[in-house]
Amino acid sequence: MTNLRKSNRPTRWFQFRASPPNATVVLLGIAVWSIFFAIWEAASLGGMLSDLLMPSPHHVLTTLINLLSRTDFLWDITASVTRILVSFLAACLIAVPLGIAMGAFGTMEAFWNPFVAAWRYLPAPAFIPVLLMWFGTGEGPKLALLFIGVVFFLITLVMDYTKQVRGEFIETAMTLGASRWQILWTVVVPAVLPNVVVAMRQMLAVSWTYLVIAEIVASTDGIGAMMMRARRFLHTDEILAGVIVIGALGLMFDMLFRWLHRLMFPYIGEQSR
Amino acid sequence: MSAPKLSLKEVGKTFRVRRNEKVQAIDGVSFDVAANEICVIIGPSGCGKSTVLRMVAGLEAPTTGSIALDGREIDAPGRDRGVVFQAYTSFDWLTVQRNVEYGMKLHGVASAERAKRADHFIDLVHLGKFRRAYPNQLSGGMKQRVAIARTLANDPAILLMDEPFGALDAETRWHMQELMISIAEEARTTLLMVTHDIEEALFMADRIIFMSRHPGTVVANIAPDFKRGRRWRRKEEVLELDGYAELERHIMRLMREQSSVN
Repeated sequence: MTNLRKSNRPTRWFQFRASPPNATVVLLGIAVWSIFFAIWEAASLGGMLSDLLMPSPHHVLTTLINLLSRTDFLWDITASVTRILVSFLAACLIAVPLGIAMGAFGTMEAFWNPFVAAWRYLPAPAFIPVLLMWFGTGEGPKLALLFIGVVFFLITLVMDYTKQVRGEFIETAMTLGASRWQILWTVVVPAVLPNVVVAMRQMLAVSWTYLVIAEIVASTDGIGAMMMRARRFLHTDEILAGVIVIGALGLMFDMLFRWLHRLMFPYIGEQSR
Repeated sequence: MSAPKLSLKEVGKTFRVRRNEKVQAIDGVSFDVAANEICVIIGPSGCGKSTVLRMVAGLEAPTTGSIALDGREIDAPGRDRGVVFQAYTSFDWLTVQRNVEYGMKLHGVASAERAKRADHFIDLVHLGKFRRAYPNQLSGGMKQRVAIARTLANDPAILLMDEPFGALDAETRWHMQELMISIAEEARTTLLMVTHDIEEALFMADRIIFMSRHPGTVVANIAPDFKRGRRWRRKEEVLELDGYAELERHIMRLMREQSSVN
């Protein structure tokens, strides 16, 4: 016979630092959105919201489904995603190697950091007028804005993560006879890589912010441009549908990066991810 | 008498703390380590014992004096002086096998030869079942064993250990001390080790170097004669020997004289 008995310690809703069971976590996540939409819907039905300025959620959802079946909207999405990918790739190609070099070598930091730090404090949208003058109204100013908005922050993040690579790793490699070049490629780079992917994930969210700014200010296509067009015709439902699409795409990219992180770095324990 | 493996002569080190203000951290440290000897440096915290080890490793430069390995002056880190640190240094992104192969790979050892040598040293530290595991899946003691195997597989002329078992629990610590003695026998390792644990020093050392503080210098170069010139594999056997307690008391008194607390 076993002596097992159920613990009669009460389960509490508010327990410090205790994570609830997985099913509860999912349910609570769904609950917060359900409540949000329910209040919104109720407010619309009760006539508290003007249909013109704040259409009901089911109205927005219907519009969203209609939009998604229209090729011009799909083109808008494609245009936006392409802008994100191209500018973000360019920013990464510069920021990752430079950030690692700055984090690894004091001289690189001393040279580049005064420059990078200054640019980081300049708000990227301040450059929109001059970018428009330089690049006209094509893809140029949008890509440039997204690039400027992301690259300096990404450099700094990658640099900081590189500085966190443990000194003992580098010293161990030295005493095993590694050259500086070997230490860079066999210790510093693999040690910082997981955090580089984290930094990229963080900055991709920022990239979406600048995308919408760029498309609202000066663009004829893209999700932001579609929302500005809708404003002209007082199609609030389309604007809100655009907001939902941007949110959903952002979430998808975030999940993609998380999945990539798991795939690339299986050796990292789940608790420290 | 044959020439010493490692020889320190009048080694000193000053650190600049502020402008125009220097601190003589280490002064006139001289001692020799013979081939195949286990030499343990012990002393109160802040006596600069780790700095001495780091200078032998080439990670820091002495201000005065000279350090020579096999008669050659040391001026940089090199594979002839492998180091095991107190902090865990197994590379997270490599399996146990690849961690142990790391040094050999740097120096272009062919992969078959590499695997064979790695196998040998992984077995030596009893990690045969964990070849494919990542460090994150190992306990603290196992991580230190990976570091030991990796360092020895790189075939150093001398093994340097900086409080290697300091972060381990008491039981794991004496298992590791016993393991290290048998490894040193097996691999004919010359070992220079730093510790603040008197028991560890008495159990492991063929020679004990006691350092004082402010400035750090050698105050006693002790041959633990009570061990009757041999190594003992079991810790309790050493504890039972005549003369153990006496030497332990002696070192403890030295430690107290040097201590800032008193």
